[in-house]
Amino acid sequence: MRTGEEDRAAFRDLYTLTASKLFGICYRICGERQAAEDVLHDVYLTIWKRAGAYEPSRASPITWLATIARNRAIDWQRAQKVRRASPIEDAPEILDTAPLVSETMLDDEAAHLLHGCLDGLEERQRSAIRTAFFDGVTYAELAERQAVPLGTMKSWVRRGLAKLKECLDA
Amino acid sequence: MSDLPPLDPPEGDGPDEAPDMAAAELALGLLDGDERAVAIRRVLAEPGFARSVDRWRTHLAQLFDLWPAVEAPDLFARIERSLDRPVEAPVATLALAPPTKSRLWPALAGLSSIAAAGLLVVLVARPVPVPPAPSARPTAPVVATRAPTLVAAIDPETAGVATVTAVYDAQAGAIRLTEAKLVGDDHSAELWVIPADGTPHSLGLLRARGGTALTLSRDNRARIAAGAVLAVTVEPIKGSPTGLPTGPVVAKGTLSPV
Repeated sequence: MRTGEEDRAAFRDLYTLTASKLFGICYRICGERQAAEDVLHDVYLTIWKRAGAYEPSRASPITWLATIARNRAIDWQRAQKVRRASPIEDAPEILDTAPLVSETMLDDEAAHLLHGCLDGLEERQRSAIRTAFFDGVTYAELAERQAVPLGTMKSWVRRGLAKLKECLDA
Repeated sequence: MSDLPPLDPPEGDGPDEAPDMAAAELALGLLDGDERAVAIRRVLAEPGFARSVDRWRTHLAQLFDLWPAVEAPDLFARIERSLDRPVEAPVATLALAPPTKSRLWPALAGLSSIAAAGLLVVLVARPVPVPPAPSARPTAPVVATRAPTLVAAIDPETAGVATVTAVYDAQAGAIRLTEAKLVGDDHSAELWVIPADGTPHSLGLLRARGGTALTLSRDNRARIAAGAVLAVTVEPIKGSPTGLPTGPVVAKGTLSPV
């Protein structure tokens, strides 16, 4: 029988192993350190409470954790009702889906598939999709950042997503 | 991200002609307001749409690999204080009852590349979903490190026996394993590392109950690397008398980086 103390030790290990990854997610989306810390705190409380809801058949553990972090950070960001017209400046760059990535980091078939398909898109489509994912922004913010009408942005992205789907399903 | 100036839209670029990609848009988080509300209603009403959203989430989750880590502040003490706060009890009652270990382990067996797997299972398998009493033990400061961490799912040869997850912390030179029920009471389970040269080296005995933590000698630390095999053999109580395995291998797995 595990004691509460052993659980805490495991939870601390989980924090040590994953906090930098999840903080990277919170920081990029929240855009400020203090908010990102608060969100990270909430993320780990959520993980502790919802560990029983984790379904191994649906997602890898780190994906599950990362998804919680991204969703929490987006919730916070949208609750602020302040739009960031540009990405935060001091956050580390997201790696581009260059071939080197597929050689060095991604030995996983699913990762190859997605990155291969993303590489097949027009630059503006790929860029918008990546920005939406990594910065957690909506169509309205994407349009504002690129200074294009909302309808135009939607059209670009929808075409990009349709092409992506075609490639992923092929 | 791109600084491309807006280009002239190609022909037929009107929003009306764009395909319906609501499932992807919802998964990506592009929608807000009414559009988002409509998409969420479709998730509830249309199973096919819900499956499609799920597929998109799975595809897009590959992008998490690219997300750079940022050294995290040490919030663990603050997190623990929040866990210990009894006012959160109503929230805790919403937590699902933890599934039993036996149901979870088979599904997790394939996740050897993720160290968090073993740790999550420890959390999932904890007996009661309420925060435990505050611990009197002082908590050491936690610093998120980038030391290489290796993990292995040590799969038993016999079906129906729980896989053992091993997590190697290079900085501490220690390996932690989840509970192993691989041998009977009249034997010991001995853990071996088999590096590329194929020669097994003993890392120590696994505890009969609960998880095991082993601090490795300097020689053995040098043998721990991605691709090295961890194996468990059945040995006499107190371990192999010869320094090499004497009993059958009952479980093995390969170390891989997180």
